[in-house]
Amino acid sequence: MSKSLDCIKSGIITENPTFVQMLGMCPTMAVTTSAINGIGMGLTTTVILILSNMMISALRKFIPDKVRIPAYIVVVASFVTIVQFLLEGFVPSLYDSLGIYIPLIVVNCIILGRAESFASKNNIWLSMMDGIGMGLGFTIGLTSIGIFRELLGNGSVFGFNLMPNSYQPVTILILAPGAFFVLAGLVAVQNKVRLTKAKKAGSEISVCERTDGCASCTNALCSGKAYTIESVMEDKKEVEK
Amino acid sequence: MNLFLIAVSAALVNNVVLSQFLGLCPFIGVSKKVDTAAGMGGAVIFVITIASAVTNIIYSQILVRFDVTYLQTIVFILVIAALVQFVEMVLKKLMPPLYKALGVYLPLITTNCAVLGVALLNVQKSYGFVASVINGFGTALGFTVAIVIMAGIREKIEYNDIPESFKGTPIVLLTAGLMAMAFFGFSGLIK
Amino acid sequence: MNLEIIKNTLSLMLITLVAGLLLGLVYEVTKEPIANEKQKAKEEAYKLVFDDAQSFEDVGIDIADANYALKKENYDVTINEVLKVKDASGADAGYVLTLTDHEGYGGDIQFAMGVRSDGTLNGISFLSIGETAGLGMKATGEDFKSQFAGKNVSKFSYTKSGATADDQIDALSGATITTNAVTNGVNAGLYYISTLQ
Repeated sequence: MSKSLDCIKSGIITENPTFVQMLGMCPTMAVTTSAINGIGMGLTTTVILILSNMMISALRKFIPDKVRIPAYIVVVASFVTIVQFLLEGFVPSLYDSLGIYIPLIVVNCIILGRAESFASKNNIWLSMMDGIGMGLGFTIGLTSIGIFRELLGNGSVFGFNLMPNSYQPVTILILAPGAFFVLAGLVAVQNKVRLTKAKKAGSEISVCERTDGCASCTNALCSGKAYTIESVMEDKKEVEK
Repeated sequence: MNLFLIAVSAALVNNVVLSQFLGLCPFIGVSKKVDTAAGMGGAVIFVITIASAVTNIIYSQILVRFDVTYLQTIVFILVIAALVQFVEMVLKKLMPPLYKALGVYLPLITTNCAVLGVALLNVQKSYGFVASVINGFGTALGFTVAIVIMAGIREKIEYNDIPESFKGTPIVLLTAGLMAMAFFGFSGLIK
Repeated sequence: MNLEIIKNTLSLMLITLVAGLLLGLVYEVTKEPIANEKQKAKEEAYKLVFDDAQSFEDVGIDIADANYALKKENYDVTINEVLKVKDASGADAGYVLTLTDHEGYGGDIQFAMGVRSDGTLNGISFLSIGETAGLGMKATGEDFKSQFAGKNVSKFSYTKSGATADDQIDALSGATITTNAVTNGVNAGLYYISTLQ
């Protein structure tokens, strides 16, 4: 029991996909123009993550190791399509505002990453808990970024005006450049925290140089591994040998 | 809308990285040096253009014909993954010089959400075959323009005095934000 | 080695097949509720843009013809449906239309509009819109939509310096593309209705 609670806690706090792991940044930047879109995207991803984690965990003995990635993609893509139908039919306003980013959940790093690193090794119950934890962590991340951008960029939160009438919204925050600025600030804060920690511990100062491409975006097939040009080149060399 | 407008709009006005946030991965990961950025851009142009053509044919000739358009996400992602592998093999056999130039970048492209994004957008905007290919080419061109400019800027940034916590990704993202603002200027090109 | 390849291929094929069949099943099951939901939303929108309508009647208008006419006038707008409106006394009161506008910033914008027999635009209502929250999405607010209602003009235009005439619409600040798309869509609808009369 405590183990399953641990899974949820690590997803929301210690391994939060948005604030700690910096995964799935494409949808994060694209849909957080308002709090409601953030929470909608977060919950949609959560549902898909829970379902795909459970399914992949159930099939983990059946899926041959060599074709596991395409098999995972098929499973995830099916759930994404199903959720897409349901949204289209029953929450059309959310379906319209998320638009193309719903099918693109297929290539969201978090989902394939969890499939590869957790669901393929654990039982169904734990995988479900992991999905709930990670999904909620992602939802909280998206919602809080959405609240921040909507409050400063439009003076409202969840569509309710909170700022005094004299407040002049910083419109750029809900436009594309604003997404980059907010994320830059977020990573900078994260770096700052790490630097302070490292200084306290007296160890070597190391700035988080997450430029491997994987951590910063929806990197489907790398599933948590650093996938840089250098590593690919090394792979190639090994193959050639 | 004529084809030229589609290309300009895809490449500059609705730039895939700076306004649609697709393909951020390689944009941040492979933009340290201008020549690698250009190589990546070339590979992306190659793959997205072919992928647009292939997914368009599959969509209109198979999915629509058999009335199973709801399979599009699953079919597109599998086709793209297979296509990248296939392109890699063909290039290796038939065009070794091109493979040498682009080969390293190809595995990285499977993981690029821009490819799937373009395929889905082509369907959403109900583009025909030619329009899809032009849109794919334009989008990839926009990606290349953005990543090469970014790499150029980053080569200069290397020598600047940046606050400790802004080193690495944050400064890249800030630069991208400024570029996105600059690209807003292009929206005047259409109407 | 060969055996392994066959085994891998077969299991992957099995997974894909099951996934495909399941999807087909879910699609079939949800198809009807989704269509009903859409139909309901459309009917509500029609009621909204034509509040005194008693019934809507399909008078067999050729949609392909209508769209050809719009294309010739250089509108990037498609008509989806045109229905004739009867009021409580059973007399013709005007038309309601569903249009899809392809010029939106975040993709297509679908909306319904009602036009009275004398050419007065009764109102518009959005069916599907995915513009930027806080900017283009403000088009769905009453402040913006009501600018169109109750006006008898042949063509609207938008302005950034405050509307002074009946045929002028105040542009949404920071969302000129959305304003342009909606205004153009409405103009296309008005133009088409004018060709009917």
